[in-house]
Amino acid sequence: MAFLDNSGDIILDAVLTDTGRFRLAKGDGSFKIVKFALGDEEINYGSYNKNHPSGSAYYDLEVLQTPILEAFTNNTSTMQTKLISIPRTNLLYLPVMMLSGPAEAQTSGSSYDGNFVVCVNQSTAGDDTNTGILDGNPSTGNGIVQGFLNGYQPGGGSTGGYIRVDQGLDTTEIPPSYTIDADLNETQYIVEMDNRFGTIVTADDAAQAANVSFIDDDNIASYYLSVTTDGNFISNITPNTTLSQISGPRGTKLEFKIQASTDLATSTYLFEQLGNTGYNVTVTDTDRAGVYTNFECYYIDSIIKVTGATTGYTINIPVRYIRVQTKT
Amino acid sequence: MATTYKTFLNNDITSTKTLLHEAIPLTGALVSGTYGTFPNGGNIKNYAHGMFQSCYDYPYLSSSANHIFDLTVGYSSVSSMSGAGSTQNAKKINMYNQMAQVLVGYDQTGSIRRFDRDGNLAAGGDKLNECIFINFARLLGKDEIKKGSFTLKLGTGSYATANNNLITIQDTNAQNDYRVNSPAGEYGILSCSDGVSGTPSCGLLFYQAGIAVLSGSVFTNADGGGILQGSPVMDTATSQFSQSLLATAISGNCDDFRHRIYDMSFNNTTELNSTIHFCRINHNDYNYSSNPTYLSQSKIVVKNNTQDAPVSYITTVGLYSADNELLAVAKLSEPLKKDPTNEMTVRVRLDY
Repeated sequence: MAFLDNSGDIILDAVLTDTGRFRLAKGDGSFKIVKFALGDEEINYGSYNKNHPSGSAYYDLEVLQTPILEAFTNNTSTMQTKLISIPRTNLLYLPVMMLSGPAEAQTSGSSYDGNFVVCVNQSTAGDDTNTGILDGNPSTGNGIVQGFLNGYQPGGGSTGGYIRVDQGLDTTEIPPSYTIDADLNETQYIVEMDNRFGTIVTADDAAQAANVSFIDDDNIASYYLSVTTDGNFISNITPNTTLSQISGPRGTKLEFKIQASTDLATSTYLFEQLGNTGYNVTVTDTDRAGVYTNFECYYIDSIIKVTGATTGYTINIPVRYIRVQTKT
Repeated sequence: MATTYKTFLNNDITSTKTLLHEAIPLTGALVSGTYGTFPNGGNIKNYAHGMFQSCYDYPYLSSSANHIFDLTVGYSSVSSMSGAGSTQNAKKINMYNQMAQVLVGYDQTGSIRRFDRDGNLAAGGDKLNECIFINFARLLGKDEIKKGSFTLKLGTGSYATANNNLITIQDTNAQNDYRVNSPAGEYGILSCSDGVSGTPSCGLLFYQAGIAVLSGSVFTNADGGGILQGSPVMDTATSQFSQSLLATAISGNCDDFRHRIYDMSFNNTTELNSTIHFCRINHNDYNYSSNPTYLSQSKIVVKNNTQDAPVSYITTVGLYSADNELLAVAKLSEPLKKDPTNEMTVRVRLDY
């Protein structure tokens, strides 16, 4: 998109998104605008200079000169960062969301090669009778491969990990023993992911699927999860626990696994169309992997976007779906 | 409670209708000579069936070309020109009938009406039996041609000098005087206002259909039943309209007519139905941001201490459904500063 002309009066460039047009075309009344939100995705607040020598009138000089792009029509490409209404004006800290880190690596957090890696089928993940990267037979007593998720059988004692997002004030200036203010505590999360690749399920053994709220024209599925109705996904972080990336007061955490889609599990079509080959995984724990230690895989890189519905904060989680091509 | 969405109230949404007009100037040079040696310009498309000719604003084999209008001619089966000796006799009758049935419809017996010079179909009167049809592309005409804005200048003198003896054809005062008895919508009466005695009517202009129906009288002198004095010429054979129509195929008639176009202009009309959403932002709304650069270790970077007022900058307005799907988006051309000391209303208009 081009930049908007900012040489004269302020103009407003408004377009329907592809989802808006889709709903309008359906003619079933689903095109109904009922609310608005404001965004500031082009703004880099790092250029706000509180120490400008010429005074406060110059603090936001660079911010106000930011050129603005024309509107994107893709509904998931815009409104990445929203403005927040909080009646109080005396806040100095706002909550963020972070992936849980090394402290809980064995069960969730730190990712392999910078991605959470989802093994999409039996041959890749492994089970009682098949040797795979995860060799998901609990009876062997094997551990969990860091950063790998079992997309084939996410529940039932799976040895795969899960994804955990923590919310809170990531500051060392307020101790974690303090309770986060109620109006900054996130109680609803929106998870958006490509529906062709998988669905989200609870991180417990039940691996209960979440209800999809909407799948848009680009196959992006949106899940709305609330602490009141989706307690298996959202819960409070234990205050003062060391098992969190959040340094200060903690709010809630979102935990989920990914159930790989049938398309990924049964076919290489999407891998060939959207992904690539040649992703090598070496499992050094031969007890876990059995006779195989080297796995050459198809892979697709994607992201899962998690947004706090209350605070508007968003993080993008990199996810790599893999399917074994050869194993030696 | 922190929130990111604000619900519209009943008085925050309204709808309006706006008529948008564009001026459409078409020069004669564009359709005869600019893109090749007349009559074989690259922007002129003839068809194997030979029933009409298309004019583009650029050589039509280019993807940059836009279709601007079609030309065809025809006469009624009761015209004196109708006969086996006329070139493309059946096709010319078919074209006339097709245009007539669409634009003026049928009489009580189910027969196709003929075009009427003053639009008074019931009274019989003077019929336009031989016509030139200019069908404007929707790209130009949009929803309708603006009444009273149409002007066509034609050369009627020596064929070699295309703009010799110019006549001006207009739908003068059509905004106050138009007809509504056509199945194809409203139409006005075209009249000559220059180069002739008085302002004789010489055709019809169908506004919603975007079609001008010109009488052959614009290339015919009074002795031949036309509106001109002297010896008007339509084609290279120094023929008036009737002789040209008899002796030449439709594509040839269209070539000749194109050559006589000096210029043409009108205003089109687009009916915009708009919904206006008033996004009312109160003093305590949207003063904080979820932008990652807004925080450094969870600390707000635009504040030094708790007493400082929060500030944010608006660049985008998102309009959402009840299930939080983004249905429309509006971008401001420059960031708007928002802090607790100001309130604003951003007016987002969506056109349909």
